[in-house]
Amino acid sequence: MIKVEHISKQFKKVKAVDDVSLEVKKGEIVCLIGPSGSGKSTVLRCIHGLEVPETGHVYLNGEVLDPKKSNYQELRNKMGFVFQHFNLFPHMTVLENLTLSLTKVRHMEEEKANEIACNYLTRVGLLDKKDEYPNKLSGGQKQRVAIARSLCTSPEIMLFDEPTSALDPEMVIEVLEVMQQLAKEGMTMIVVTHEMGFAKTVADRVIFLENGKIVEENDAKAFYENPKTERAQDFLKKVMH
Amino acid sequence: MFVAFSKVFTPENLLYFAKGAVVSLLLAAVSLLFGIVFGILGSSAKRSKYKIFRIIGNVYVEVIRGTPMLLQILILFSVIPSIYTAFTGNVLRINVFLIGAVAISINSGAYSTELIRSGINGVDKGQWEACETLGLSHKQTMRLVILPQAFKRIIPPMISEFITLIKDSSLISCIGAVELLKSAQVVGAQYYDVMSPYCIVAVYYLIMTISISYLGRYVEKRLAESD
Repeated sequence: MIKVEHISKQFKKVKAVDDVSLEVKKGEIVCLIGPSGSGKSTVLRCIHGLEVPETGHVYLNGEVLDPKKSNYQELRNKMGFVFQHFNLFPHMTVLENLTLSLTKVRHMEEEKANEIACNYLTRVGLLDKKDEYPNKLSGGQKQRVAIARSLCTSPEIMLFDEPTSALDPEMVIEVLEVMQQLAKEGMTMIVVTHEMGFAKTVADRVIFLENGKIVEENDAKAFYENPKTERAQDFLKKVMH
Repeated sequence: MFVAFSKVFTPENLLYFAKGAVVSLLLAAVSLLFGIVFGILGSSAKRSKYKIFRIIGNVYVEVIRGTPMLLQILILFSVIPSIYTAFTGNVLRINVFLIGAVAISINSGAYSTELIRSGINGVDKGQWEACETLGLSHKQTMRLVILPQAFKRIIPPMISEFITLIKDSSLISCIGAVELLKSAQVVGAQYYDVMSPYCIVAVYYLIMTISISYLGRYVEKRLAESD
């Protein structure tokens, strides 16, 4: 479904992503892990086109994502993105946050959009908050709204950029549960995360990055039980308790 | 010095000052309004992807902010009629209020440009990215997400800008426009005492600026509530 071929991205003098290639099949859940500054978030942002890689290509369903091509936005709209800092619209209610893309991008009638939005809010367990403004929500609730907002665009694949890193520990679980539920429903997901528990139990495959390069890639189970590279062994020793 | 105060402090004179105050207030309001229009144009130019517009925007802001407003008024006052004469051969009878309003608007526009620009830039970059991932166009993002948030940041400094304009509108007294300050000088000339009228119009200025400042604080509080 997603194919990344030899992408590189440089910020000033630092090579954030250095010749990364990977593939994600439909229904697969892939976790990108690695130390801070390893380039995992940048890889994810390159896949969605939030950053445009200097070299290499990203393919979605066999079609190349190219800002110069007319189908670029259309292809990007098939991907949902969840940010570390939620990025909810503070001047809109929860419901308005969700319906914005439905009414403005897909030109849906308001009633229909509200119905769909309420449906997704129910799924993340926040229907009762639909008329609240984001500043009245807890971090975990905000992220669940952000996930629901992204789902409203009916994405074929969901990209998560450290979705729980900005949350208080006790709120992490409610967000992970929503993601787990999505995984069970067969959503294709790429997750940049520090949550080793989630990666271990939910992911099909784990990709370990360091210094912008893929160091190790394996089935989640095999990776955690028997990391092959020394760097991955060392990393796991530090983060698994 | 204050001998003539009671002579100056008559209903007729107070009414005359009030008229001057209205002129000052109107001038400031009109200039703020057109200044905002210039500010929208200026900030769009400075944010443009075309270098030529960015240069124009920068030159506008730097030139206006880097020269005294009094000088700008005087230049407009003498330049426009001479250009008119050079092209048509006729003598232009200019309205000093119009020249004043134009000069103050252009001046205020440079400051509004920076206020609007920093208001827009102050909106978190993540908001742009969220819109991008939801498929919104640049225009939709600006109109539906960025500007409503920037607006809240722009309002409080715009109110201070209004206060500044009320005070700065006194500068057009130098080209003969009778606004609040000039009305004090006119009355002062009648009584051979400028001190009393000056003190009275100072109170007029204070009434205007303090009440707008309070209004500003109220608005700011209301805006903060919804944050």
